Amino acid sequence: MENNIDFKDLWKKQSISQPSINELLAKLKHFKKTSLRRLILTNAMLIATCVLILLIWYYYQPQFLSTKIGIVLNVAIMAIYLLVYNRLFDAYKELDNTDSNAEYLQKLIAIKTKQKFLQSKMLSIYFVVLGLGTCLYMYEYASMMSFLWGFFVYAVLLFWMGFVWFYLRPRQIVKENSKIDTLIDTFQRINNQLEADV
Amino acid sequence: MMEFENIYKTYWNRIFRLCMGFVNDYDIAQDLAQETFIIVWQKLNTFRNESGIGTWIFRIASNNCLRQIEKEKRFLKSELPLHITEEKQYSIEPQIQFLYKCIAELPETERIIISLELEDVKQAEIAKIVGLSEANVRVKIHRIKDKLTQKFQDHGK
Repeated sequence: MENNIDFKDLWKKQSISQPSINELLAKLKHFKKTSLRRLILTNAMLIATCVLILLIWYYYQPQFLSTKIGIVLNVAIMAIYLLVYNRLFDAYKELDNTDSNAEYLQKLIAIKTKQKFLQSKMLSIYFVVLGLGTCLYMYEYASMMSFLWGFFVYAVLLFWMGFVWFYLRPRQIVKENSKIDTLIDTFQRINNQLEADV
Repeated sequence: MMEFENIYKTYWNRIFRLCMGFVNDYDIAQDLAQETFIIVWQKLNTFRNESGIGTWIFRIASNNCLRQIEKEKRFLKSELPLHITEEKQYSIEPQIQFLYKCIAELPETERIIISLELEDVKQAEIAKIVGLSEANVRVKIHRIKDKLTQKFQDHGK
């Protein structure tokens, strides 16, 4: 019992400096800006690519159906990717800071698990559809070339896709998953602290 | 706005100590406490009096502490050199420092539980904040205090 009083007394003797409320509000503004900037930056690249493809459609007026399908596929998959990515951001908004720690941890684990699934699945789907779309899209232009050039263009394209699929994609997935896995493990371990004993 | 200012004045010290108990690093604790109040500011209009404002704020603060583990993992490398220049001693008394150090070494949820206990938060409230039964909280507090006492004894004081 004596120790009990001791601890409380010591605990409250910790020196503290309270920043002015203005400093806090300045931080709030900064925080809002940076999170918005991050979102815009990631989306800007994809939007720019979509716009570029649509401009090509508009200015070069493709004749083949395959070209049009290719364009639609590419734009669609980028839009879908964008949507999924933004939904990951929204998932954090669902996280309610005013839940109890136990509920909060469980939601955090659920979000991380979902994120892991989406990241690896989406990345694969993204590359497949984008590859397919590009092959279809290129066909019209390749058919205008001599057979040899057309063959060469497709060979280069397929080589690049193979490189992305067999080398870049798995590396990216492993990198992202290992990060998320450590986090999931940590949160799971903390959650177990609440379930263990008694 | 007036209301927020009052909350900020009333709860800053308590929230800061909770964060300090969690990380035992003055600067990180300061950041965590500020983040907590940013969330409080954003969410204040959603607060309904179902639970006391204290319980509500402590929930936000403790969840934010748990969330910071994610950032810790991300920034670990860049932050390492900072710790070497740990000359800044804010609490001069070694006893206080030792207490905070011991608490920060406990498992995460125990840090939160003991910090709230030392803040004189009622055990029923702690149970609501953490999401455990009251009986469970009582047992845990007892064990954590035993652990701390043991550490203080081993420390030679």
